[in-house]
Amino acid sequence: MKELKSIAILLIINSFISSSVLHAQNTQIKGFVDALAGVQNDKLSFALGEQDLFITSELSDRFSFLGESVFRFTNTTPTKFSVSIERIVIKYNFSGNHNILVGKHHTPINYWNDTYHHGRVLFPTIFRPLLFDANIIPLHTTGVSLQGHNLGELKFGYDLMIGNGIGSTDVLDNDARKSITAAMHIKPAEGLRLGISWYNDGISKGASGHDGMPVQWAVDQNLFSGSIAYFGNKFEVLAEGTLGINKTDTTGSTRTLASYIYAGFKIREKIVPYVRLDNLTFQEGEIFYDNNNTTAFVGGIRYNINYVTVVKMEYQHQHTARDGDSNRYTMQLAIGF
Amino acid sequence: MGIQTGIRCNWQLDFRINIKTMTLRPFKILVYKKYLSIVLLLITAIIVKGQETSLIAISNTKGAPSTMKMTELKSVLKGEKQRWNDGTKVSIVLMKTNTPVGEATCQKIYNMSGDKVKRFWLGLSFSGKSDAPIFCNSISELETIVSQTPGAIAILDKISISTNTKTIVVDGKNSF
Repeated sequence: MKELKSIAILLIINSFISSSVLHAQNTQIKGFVDALAGVQNDKLSFALGEQDLFITSELSDRFSFLGESVFRFTNTTPTKFSVSIERIVIKYNFSGNHNILVGKHHTPINYWNDTYHHGRVLFPTIFRPLLFDANIIPLHTTGVSLQGHNLGELKFGYDLMIGNGIGSTDVLDNDARKSITAAMHIKPAEGLRLGISWYNDGISKGASGHDGMPVQWAVDQNLFSGSIAYFGNKFEVLAEGTLGINKTDTTGSTRTLASYIYAGFKIREKIVPYVRLDNLTFQEGEIFYDNNNTTAFVGGIRYNINYVTVVKMEYQHQHTARDGDSNRYTMQLAIGF
Repeated sequence: MGIQTGIRCNWQLDFRINIKTMTLRPFKILVYKKYLSIVLLLITAIIVKGQETSLIAISNTKGAPSTMKMTELKSVLKGEKQRWNDGTKVSIVLMKTNTPVGEATCQKIYNMSGDKVKRFWLGLSFSGKSDAPIFCNSISELETIVSQTPGAIAILDKISISTNTKTIVVDGKNSF
């Protein structure tokens, strides 16, 4: 019996090694960076955006690697810059369009987080929607996932992921509870993608929340998200919403609704005026999120100089319950290299 | 010849009109010249259309089927299929988008400009959903890669005579 086990293990190892030998390793390094100029509170400022290094490598016929590291300004370090690992994903394609992914992922909770990552040149607007800034969803999950895509007539896709929950690090979970993400989408027509997802996690008392502050109660969190994305030859529409339900033993359940809708119209192939509306609505008594109802309007124009060079000019008006109105004008040059 | 006759008739008609309204003649000639230009442009466009690059799908002998529907071919070339039915990994090989064959491929397969096709692949590979194609400078380079890569599929403008490659019949035709 032991011999049979040993032979089986050797065969599996041999199949991995032989597939690696037969296929030369193909590694590509790409990157994104952006520079900004903005006016807020009657003051003009120039700013460096993130420098994103993106590596893909086909290790063998079945194995591949994807890594994404970001260098960004951080006021708390001596050099004023920090490096963060945004994604490290080792993918094993076990059958057809079905894969197992291990590592640190962008949680496949909605279209934006699963598509644009840190590639500013690919963003339809200069900044992410407010639901990202407000830490409504977990951006990253370290764990393992099953993924399938473009299955059948409707081009069905799915992601099933378990990972370290909120409050964990990339090397250690802070509690026994694992986060679960289940997402699915279909692409029924050219350029159209419809998706839904569910995220569940138990956040321990004292764990660091998205904003780094300790959570004062144990929270059971459920996030339900939906998205509609259409990027056609003339029109672009992206609408996403997340209903967050946070439950504690002392405060009961509170509901937060975070949503945005983006629309763009190509007046010429390279010129796209666009608008985006954001809304964050927190229920009275919300204790996990920063309870600050917010609405925002974004209007801008995007000029694609070429496929890796984009200029965007944008105006944003924002109203928050705590701070009132604010306006911001921003210009961004984003490139890929 | 027929067009010229028509123009002469129109000038005569124009002359008659000019007897009554002497000021219209120069304007009318300009209008007829404009029509003639449009007709000539249309004829040129039809001739050019008839001569547009005809494309052929080829593949390594291992992996891709010998016949495909155009919708299947487009789906494969958009990175929507990771493996052929025999389990071989799909590898997409294309001419660079600034070559005549590359431009024709962008139009006929992707219905996009070359820049948009490159952006499409940048986004797809960045999301980790698909490996980017191998873009080639020359047909001979493309043929070599296809012949040496099991599961490779490519688009070119002539039937390949390389060993280890085959032509894929698309919607019952060798070219499209």
